[in-house]
Amino acid sequence: MLKQWMRIGLVTVMTGLSVSAGIAEAAGVLTIGRREDSTTFDPIKTAQNIDNWVFSNIFDVLVRVDPTGTKLVPGLAESWTVSEDGLTYTLKMRDAKFSDGAPVTAGDAAFSLLRVRDNPGSLWSDSYKVIDTATASDDKTLVVKLKTPSAPFLSTLALPNVSVLPQKVLESVGEEAFAEAPVGSGAFALKEWRRGDRVILEKNPNYWDADHVSLDGVEWISVPDDNTRMLNVQAGQLDAAIFVPFSRVAELQKDANLTVHLDPSTREDHLLINHEHGALAKKEVRQALDMAIDKQAVVDTVTFGLGTVANSYIPKGALYYYADNLKRPYDPEKAKQMLADAGASDLTLNYVVRAGDEVVEQTAVLLQQQLAKAGVTVNIQKVDPSQEWDMLVAGDYDVGVNYWTNDILDPDQKTTFVIGHDANNNYMTRYKNDAVKDLVAKARLEMDPAKREAMYVDLQRMAKEDVNWIDLYYSPYINVSRKGIENFTQNPLGRFLLEDTKKN
Amino acid sequence: MSVLARPAFTPGWSKAFGTNGALAAGSAILALFVLAALFAPLIAPYDPIAQDAAARLAAPSLLHPFGTDNFGRDILSRVIWGTRIDLQMAFFGVVFPFLIGTVVGTVAGFFGGVVDALLMRLIDIILAFPFLVLMLSIIAILGPGLSSFYIAMALVGWVSYARLVRAQILVLKTQDYAVAATSLGFGRLRIMFRHLLPNAIAGSVVFVMSDAVLVLLNGAAISYLGLGVQPPVAEWGVMVAEGQPFVTTAWWVTLFPGLSIVALAFGFSLLGDGLGQRLGVAE
Repeated sequence: MLKQWMRIGLVTVMTGLSVSAGIAEAAGVLTIGRREDSTTFDPIKTAQNIDNWVFSNIFDVLVRVDPTGTKLVPGLAESWTVSEDGLTYTLKMRDAKFSDGAPVTAGDAAFSLLRVRDNPGSLWSDSYKVIDTATASDDKTLVVKLKTPSAPFLSTLALPNVSVLPQKVLESVGEEAFAEAPVGSGAFALKEWRRGDRVILEKNPNYWDADHVSLDGVEWISVPDDNTRMLNVQAGQLDAAIFVPFSRVAELQKDANLTVHLDPSTREDHLLINHEHGALAKKEVRQALDMAIDKQAVVDTVTFGLGTVANSYIPKGALYYYADNLKRPYDPEKAKQMLADAGASDLTLNYVVRAGDEVVEQTAVLLQQQLAKAGVTVNIQKVDPSQEWDMLVAGDYDVGVNYWTNDILDPDQKTTFVIGHDANNNYMTRYKNDAVKDLVAKARLEMDPAKREAMYVDLQRMAKEDVNWIDLYYSPYINVSRKGIENFTQNPLGRFLLEDTKKN
Repeated sequence: MSVLARPAFTPGWSKAFGTNGALAAGSAILALFVLAALFAPLIAPYDPIAQDAAARLAAPSLLHPFGTDNFGRDILSRVIWGTRIDLQMAFFGVVFPFLIGTVVGTVAGFFGGVVDALLMRLIDIILAFPFLVLMLSIIAILGPGLSSFYIAMALVGWVSYARLVRAQILVLKTQDYAVAATSLGFGRLRIMFRHLLPNAIAGSVVFVMSDAVLVLLNGAAISYLGLGVQPPVAEWGVMVAEGQPFVTTAWWVTLFPGLSIVALAFGFSLLGDGLGQRLGVAE
């Protein structure tokens, strides 16, 4: 009898011990809720934030962007030199290892750079066409030769999509297997990917700065419904959640157990205009539309006051942002007059809206009402997100809201996409101005920062004068975490600095 | 107990509804919504699409009995105006399938043989697809909007009516009066639509009411998905969808349009039950 009780007691104690051990182990794992699951871990085959934001903690890049998003700091390359003529970059590699223990060599770096340039599946090859050769003169020295000088080149090395990948592993397992089970040299390594559910990361013991990393692991869990995701954090089932809707911020800020993070971002929301459609080809008509839109009302109603009115396509706080750029005053009467003068007083616009996106839908309803005051009839057409993209690409729209977050520090990338006349019809707008086109190309080659800044100021002025699109507002990245989570931050380019995050 | 007092009321009220509470209640609810739809401009206190930045997400008060949404639009006014759209959806979403289904069912049942076999296989094919998926793909092809919704409903919804009517016709065409009509040399059309159909239709009429509930919910779902009514028009399904982000902070934005959908659906279903009793149609 006594023995029996002792046995039960022993079992109880053992169970208690193992349970507490389980909790202690889980304490170092940060769970983050987000809207969607990742699509791939092959960095060159995606341009989506949901992918980049996760693998930027698995892979490492040659050059990193600092937490403020304003300057470049050493990554896998601990130092670099640029030749007089601006054509040869020599990068000195740091002593680092991949998560499988193999050393990161200059050969891996050269391989990764050429792969993003040459691989037929690469979405980023255009940005790296400027590379002539990339070679490893020894295991620690990478030499990159360019075809022409390029001011933004160094900052393009910080793009998560040109992360340094292990050549041997990639070639032995093949691209498709690697995209499912990658090996990198970042602070964390992929432990398991449950498609459609979660990505489980564990601390990479071979990371060059592993002593610095406090978390034992990270779980990115997809919780598509905004309300559910917020409730999960409030109930403590998640440590943190990203993509907090504007409408929920005030409520979450009142919760003493939570911290709401409004991290400066490079996000800019704008109204695309199809310059090829009828009266929209006239500059005066586009300027009138700009004046007919009350951006402050959009900021107040849609972003609940969390955004700020945008006055340039370059986001506030980013390199070469021109703070004094023109802000056309809200004046529906004058807009109406300008439209009449331009012979477009009965303007009717087809406004394409991405169904299911709360912010985009609300903006549409608001702009429809505002434009009506200037005599413009707006027909809202709600469509499926993939269909919306196809319609924008095909030019089957008059206006529509979209947004952009910068991928690199340098303004060249966005400028080229938006007003530089490259392959995408100036971000679907069909905007054409050869003077702007030439200046974008010139600014890319200008190595003197002061002269280059002056060029970008001119570009921002010219784009505003032509109304390439209508700048609406800048907004922060909004994330929420439980009290006790420290340093859960996102830099303006979107990278989560999880190597610094602590869970108490 | 005054037994004599009762017959005095018989003629009007009781003749129509008898002791049929469901029929009375259902008709009353429906009548209420029809009146609201007809007199929307008179009843609604505000313009349903007028935005008021000063009164965004205001809780229900005397000024705004149902509160306001995130654009400061009055929800009571939007619910009242929404009645027009939702009743219209329920009506057109049912009437076309009813007409098509009845004709097809009558023809199939009456002629039998190859005609019947072909039509029934067509129905099987349509039924093999999940209803909502088929409807969504039709709307995706035609483009969003209410007319696409009606066309999709007409293309997909008639099968249930056709089956119901066909089953009735199959039974009825062997009845003595039908055989007599044939032997008297009446035309086929006359026999089908004058003699058989009126006796076969009761089941369909009752089904119309329960189908209206489904159509209403489908229409709300389509609009919720952004494929039906386009903003800024007030429609209950859209209003629920638009209020979803605020469900924890401003419950009134979703509650009132949601309740309206429930109330109207309840009205239709009561009416269906009542009609079923009245017309002697078994469940």
